[in-house]
Amino acid sequence: MKGTLQVTKVGIIANPVSARDIRRIVSHAGNLPINDRANIVLRILTGLCITGVEEVLVMPETGGIRAQLLRTIERESKMGKFRFPKVTYLKMPVTGTAEDSVEAARQMHDQGVGAIVVLGGDGTSRVVVSGCGNTPIAGVSTGTNNAFPELREPTVTGLAVGLAVTGQVPFKYAFSFNKRLEVTVNDKREIALVDVAVVAERYIGARAIWKTDNFRDLFVTFGRPDGIGMSSIIGLLAPLDRETPEGRRVRLIPVDQADHVLAAPIAPGLIEDIGIGSVETIEPNQIYQPSVSVGSFALDGERELTFSEVDAVGIRLQTDAFRTINVLDCMAYAAKHGLLTSKANNRLAQLSKKGGT
Amino acid sequence: MSNPFPLEKGQLLEAYRRMKTIREFEERLHVDFARGDIPGFVHLYAGEEASGVGIMMHLEDQDRIASTHRGHGHCIAKGVDVKGMMAEIYGKATGSCAGKGGSMHIADLSKGMMGANGILGAGAPLVCGAALAAQKLGHDGVGVTFFGDGASNQGTVLESMNLAAIWNLPVLFIVENNGYAEATSVDYAVASDSFVDRAAGFGMPGITVDGTDFFAVYEAAGEIIKRAREGAGPTLMECKMVRFFGHFEGDAQTYRAPGENEENRANKDCLKIFRAKVTEAGALSDADLDAIDSEVMKLIEEAVEEAKAAPLPAPEELTNDVYVSY
Repeated sequence: MKGTLQVTKVGIIANPVSARDIRRIVSHAGNLPINDRANIVLRILTGLCITGVEEVLVMPETGGIRAQLLRTIERESKMGKFRFPKVTYLKMPVTGTAEDSVEAARQMHDQGVGAIVVLGGDGTSRVVVSGCGNTPIAGVSTGTNNAFPELREPTVTGLAVGLAVTGQVPFKYAFSFNKRLEVTVNDKREIALVDVAVVAERYIGARAIWKTDNFRDLFVTFGRPDGIGMSSIIGLLAPLDRETPEGRRVRLIPVDQADHVLAAPIAPGLIEDIGIGSVETIEPNQIYQPSVSVGSFALDGERELTFSEVDAVGIRLQTDAFRTINVLDCMAYAAKHGLLTSKANNRLAQLSKKGGT
Repeated sequence: MSNPFPLEKGQLLEAYRRMKTIREFEERLHVDFARGDIPGFVHLYAGEEASGVGIMMHLEDQDRIASTHRGHGHCIAKGVDVKGMMAEIYGKATGSCAGKGGSMHIADLSKGMMGANGILGAGAPLVCGAALAAQKLGHDGVGVTFFGDGASNQGTVLESMNLAAIWNLPVLFIVENNGYAEATSVDYAVASDSFVDRAAGFGMPGITVDGTDFFAVYEAAGEIIKRAREGAGPTLMECKMVRFFGHFEGDAQTYRAPGENEENRANKDCLKIFRAKVTEAGALSDADLDAIDSEVMKLIEEAVEEAKAAPLPAPEELTNDVYVSY
């Protein structure tokens, strides 16, 4: 490895309750088994280890990931293989809810990890960002809607995170700054990383959104033409990348009243007709109001906040709001500068010293 | 403000009434059992009401359910007569099963309640039979089996999931995960740890819902039941919940963390959560709910008084209702 080691701790959040909601019923959304989640964590660990990360803080859970992880690490250790950094579990109560991800992100930030790797989709990434302060995150796409985390082999994400947090890749290549949306209802404040859908239904229920009849507004930070989830609506109407410092809003109207209808993949396996009104650009730091006075906000696909005429509400785009690991640029830099290349003799000596194979 | 929920005001009141009835029924049994008034064992459902009621609000009498040893809540939610249940638990001739079943065998086929069941996991094959009957008779009835995290490991449950999947039966497998199989934590006792993963192993969809939130259960159950009625086959739903009492009455609950019961009562009480949601939304008032509280208290008091006053089954009744001639 080249360069100076700066930070050697990374956090990993793999919450077994993510991607278990009703969209597995209504839209054939994926169901990543616990065993596969544990295997993904192991693959991330191999990438982190080889790039010099010495310790990984992991969110505790009681859903089975921990048991398999520790069993595998112990087994490989007994076999003389040392492919993983030291794994330390945070000391925190386990609630078996998304709140565990928020608390873990807070603790990892407080303990100074260089980055947090998040297994999940848009919803899990959102709750981690809400708790991690200015610590960068790296998403591993295992959720229901995965517009925010890029689809990539977790081993490579582990390598990129390791190269970034150990300072082997310069800051300007290692990290990206991201937009987000802030939603306020009176003194309650929540964020969304990809989209805020306004639903004319003041009801939370099972949280996930899939019934399109009551959609009235959609605000997005970005939308790709090949995206999945609500942001695909913008992606197919007026695409917007992650970098441009603006957002989009589309006013949605009932299909039977609309001039134009868009067939949009609003969830895996769920392509719905959406009545399209106008598409507008939204500027950073401007406060926008929803089209309806009574309803709820769905943040990155899940209903979280309700509002009515008596509430003060607002939606605001924030730019440069939080950092992510730029995996593509990290690996391009590593390739260009030979970060994963070394003299064969040196490498063999290094592995021999570690006791690995 | 208008009612934002997908239930009319009358339905909201009914949902609360059923949950409150279960709660008061169980709280009263807790007291009466400790006093030595009740024969046999009782396993109380208090704390878990949102699951049973959230599901049962979608069911009709033709829909069949099979319950567990912790079955009082399922019975009440399905519409079984509360006074008959109380008399049954007191072992009286006026009980739902003439006083010969007791707490763990309350049944009322007229309400589609196939029975509480003292044998763990035994309800699953029963509802597969009921669902098969619905399928063959050509009506849209569904079968719902409830089981706990402990019973989820029983072969009967796993075999039933396989059968329901290959025959595409309209069955709901409801895992009521209160975290403990008797005194054994789910972390230790369930190998895969994920019930949803088990459903996937049989090619059926599975989801997890917050079993302390009536509205989360209600919405998810509605989709699953609709799906089953339309012919889309079985589904597994895990309701994550808490039980307020021990596994059985008399359980010292030494397996719980300090303060766990108090935390559950304070922050995971499905009745409090329901009340907060409907009153904050302006759908129901505290007065609406308080009136139901009073009615339910009166009903439970009457049920106990009548149960105590009722006669025991006559000795000559011993073998009646035991054998069936086909």
